[in-house]
Amino acid sequence: MRRLSVDVVVIGGGTTGVGVVRDLALRGYRAALLDRADLAQGTSGRFHGLLHSGGRYVVTDSLSATECAQENVILRRIQAPAIEETGGLFVTLPDDPDPTWADQFVAGAARSQVPLREIDPAQALKLEPRLNPAVERAFLVEDAAVDGWRLAWGCAQSAREHGAQILTYTAATAILRRDGRVTGVRALDRKADQRLEIECGFVLNCAGPWAGRVAALAECRPVAVVPGRGIMIAVNRFTRLCLNRCVKPADGDLIVPAHGVSIIGTTDVKVDDPDRLDIPRAEVQQMFDAAEKLTPGFRRARPLHAWAGARPLIKDDRVQATDTRHMSRGMAVIDHADRDGLAGLLTIGGGKLTTYRLMAEHIVDAMEAQSGDHHPCRTADEPCPDPVPGARWRLAGPLTAGATDSDSDPFHSDHPLLDLDQADRSPLDPDRDGPDLDSPAAGSRSFASLHQRLRQGEDDRFQDQLICECELVSRRQLLAALRDDPQASLDDLRRQLRLGMGPCQGGFCAPRAVAAACQAGVIEAQRANGLLRLFLTNRWYGLRPILHGQQVAQAALDNWIWQGTLNVAHLPEGGEAL
Amino acid sequence: MTDSVVVGAGLAGLVAATRLAHAGQSVVLLAQGLGGLPLSTGTVDILGYAGAPVDHPLRAVAELVRGAPDHPYAVIGPAAVTSGLDWLQALLPELLQGDLKTNVTLPTALGALRPTCLHPPSMAAGAVATGSAAESAIAIVGPHQLKDFGPELCAANLARLLAAAGRETSVTAYRIDLPARPGETDSSPLTYARRLDQADYRQRFAQLVAERLGGETVVGLPAVLGLADPAAWEDLGQLIGRPVFEIGLAPPSVPGLRLHNALTAAARQAGVRIVLGAQATGFRTRGDRLVSLRSHQAGAGRDWPGDHFVYAGGGWESGAFRLDSHGHMVETVFGLPLRGGDVADANIDLLGPDYWQDQELFKVGLEVDRTMRPLGPSKQPVFSNLHAVGSLLAGAVRWSELSGEGIAVGSAQAAAAAILGLEPEKGK
Repeated sequence: MRRLSVDVVVIGGGTTGVGVVRDLALRGYRAALLDRADLAQGTSGRFHGLLHSGGRYVVTDSLSATECAQENVILRRIQAPAIEETGGLFVTLPDDPDPTWADQFVAGAARSQVPLREIDPAQALKLEPRLNPAVERAFLVEDAAVDGWRLAWGCAQSAREHGAQILTYTAATAILRRDGRVTGVRALDRKADQRLEIECGFVLNCAGPWAGRVAALAECRPVAVVPGRGIMIAVNRFTRLCLNRCVKPADGDLIVPAHGVSIIGTTDVKVDDPDRLDIPRAEVQQMFDAAEKLTPGFRRARPLHAWAGARPLIKDDRVQATDTRHMSRGMAVIDHADRDGLAGLLTIGGGKLTTYRLMAEHIVDAMEAQSGDHHPCRTADEPCPDPVPGARWRLAGPLTAGATDSDSDPFHSDHPLLDLDQADRSPLDPDRDGPDLDSPAAGSRSFASLHQRLRQGEDDRFQDQLICECELVSRRQLLAALRDDPQASLDDLRRQLRLGMGPCQGGFCAPRAVAAACQAGVIEAQRANGLLRLFLTNRWYGLRPILHGQQVAQAALDNWIWQGTLNVAHLPEGGEAL
Repeated sequence: MTDSVVVGAGLAGLVAATRLAHAGQSVVLLAQGLGGLPLSTGTVDILGYAGAPVDHPLRAVAELVRGAPDHPYAVIGPAAVTSGLDWLQALLPELLQGDLKTNVTLPTALGALRPTCLHPPSMAAGAVATGSAAESAIAIVGPHQLKDFGPELCAANLARLLAAAGRETSVTAYRIDLPARPGETDSSPLTYARRLDQADYRQRFAQLVAERLGGETVVGLPAVLGLADPAAWEDLGQLIGRPVFEIGLAPPSVPGLRLHNALTAAARQAGVRIVLGAQATGFRTRGDRLVSLRSHQAGAGRDWPGDHFVYAGGGWESGAFRLDSHGHMVETVFGLPLRGGDVADANIDLLGPDYWQDQELFKVGLEVDRTMRPLGPSKQPVFSNLHAVGSLLAGAVRWSELSGEGIAVGSAQAAAAAILGLEPEKGK
């Protein structure tokens, strides 16, 4: 049993949770964040990748629209490396359901202070040649593509630099209470299989779709979470801008270009269990139909992957009645002192990734309203660092100090390809670019761009190996990420590095990655086999519903390599591959 | 006028074309790309698994034929498999050794044991049951600069599998530090293979390997031991002072490319005209006969009239079959009916949730008669002079049962025999 004492424990490592722990740390609190899995492995990593301009909500929800527009500006300032400045378009098409919508849209944008510029349809087609040529009206907005993982890691790294502890793969098992107050949290470090008890005065429940389960750990009255499942489909990137239908918000009215893919989203179906999200074929067809309408030819683009995320919708009658102060229509803070007679526990639900920082500000304000303390929120002013794999931010807090001393460092080898002092030169290192890239804000980094890795990787052609050719992941990046988290699964590495997320879907890079990890001594063969099997098992979930076109040939080739050439199915038993 | 027009430059297409040319026919082979051999292992799988690992592949094929009437081998028959492979082995003795009645198990790059039948002599010492590795201390060695081969993982898995089989064989991994070209850190298997064709590079390579070795008596190396020089691997073994064996890698496969090069040369030598970059795009018919094939290459269309046509365009992996976003599938050149393809939505009906089960989609393909002619819905040949071979045939997931080359060569043999007017050989 490990023990720890902090002021506040944050449960849930999605963007909201890391936003909250950063906010707490910047206000001077000692804070720890727990997630039962990896950061942004739930909803924050399973969305469409849109940084909202606010345009989507200008007619139906003006307050949300204004919040989005304001947060959009703030996130560009503090987290540029997670954002690709694509710009966005709202377009009307001939058979749109409500012909008056565009006029309401223009009026709503003015009312909500969402920047908007109407352009000629011909100009829109010039900006986005894949757009349906029947476009009638087109509006440019400040949409952008945002990487939820990079957003979360940047935030987590900032929090750590201000003293917060980030504990991933650590599941809260009980919220301790005495005399109507929260006194601590019990948790289990799932990778080390070690129990943990954290003494604290506050617990902030940021578990999103899982918030009901976390509230139940404190034996509160049930918090009714109604997860809304949305599916997304990624095809090889063939669009430049974020494309929105200018209609009342509906399913499949949005295509976001992110990294090497274009993503169509999404649906909204209420489900019971956020851990069991299907990707129904009917919804897949619905998305393809919708995408075909917006960008004719989408069905013939190469499909790479599909996924489903759960919206964190909370239904609670008493939220409306007692907590309007901290609530916009998009987000809700539940103070369990009022609701359940338990001081020290607050739950946040609803909201969207674009407004994660604001949500964090609201729940920490609500906490301070209860405690009577007051510290100004600083998260909008201080830029987050760019989360570079290899920057030793993962788990490297006081709890694991000493675990990476030189005696136990597996990375000693006589070969330069294993020399991780060289890792600081890796293409993802922000310092690599130096001053020749314009910096959007002091202390911050440049925006993401599609060609960034290619340009940087070109410099390293003769110094490093490309493990993943699709997403340009180098051997040193891989090893650096493994050095920071020797327990990482291939899916953890995928989220960190985009390993296996390109057209070949891991066919070539996954065996290379485990072979490199074995060479470096980070893992044993038994674990390598388990990691490979788990990766293939998981990868198939997102391939099966959308497999068609050229990707069938790729899947056949991958099977030929994995099963035919390498005979993965007959490797010795794999180890635990959490 | 051409006697036979063959579409596809994989194993099945090259074998069919060469057999027909050897029999005196004029043959044109239309190839859209390089064919599948450079993606393959360079071994000849007949049947690796029939539930359990297969020891005697011909016998296992005969058993399979009795129990699985929808399997390609059921129409090809064991006799065509045998005569086709006998012919191939006689054609390429430098590249294929082994015995059709016996499978060998060769280590993969991950250290799994893989059953196969005919194999390059350069892999023979890796045969765990029969080769030098049987009673040895094994070294697995690879260069740092070759990312597709990790000796550490390969050796550890191989050691565990041998131990589980009750063998007391040590397996040790070593690295050497030798780029294929000066200054490279990311060298491709092909670059290594071309360099190892050169005696001076071979010497340096061998010296570095030998310096690393301890008491090991046999050395496993990545399958890059020469491309053009068929004796390069033997020379390396002599220089190292121990028998060596090659371990197959993910594509591009050097042993597969050696087979491709040798078969292409044999086809040309037999008089086959190989037209590269030619995509089959259409056809003309008269009655129940195909009259000509249309191809598209170098920006122009061209008709290829012929008496007989052999379609060896590959299966799902080559794009000869196409699945659209609605879950419907077609054969792309002739629009031939696909057995198992008549489903409402392939993604629901033919793809299961478990990656590790055989996916029915990959069994979808052409149904053929004993002369390899694709059949229509009424079980009659669609064209009287069109034969389909190789991965186009329905009924097998080749990469999990390890049967691809046996099906390719057996079906090519059966089609060639039919075209040449011979009776399809009867099973014994």
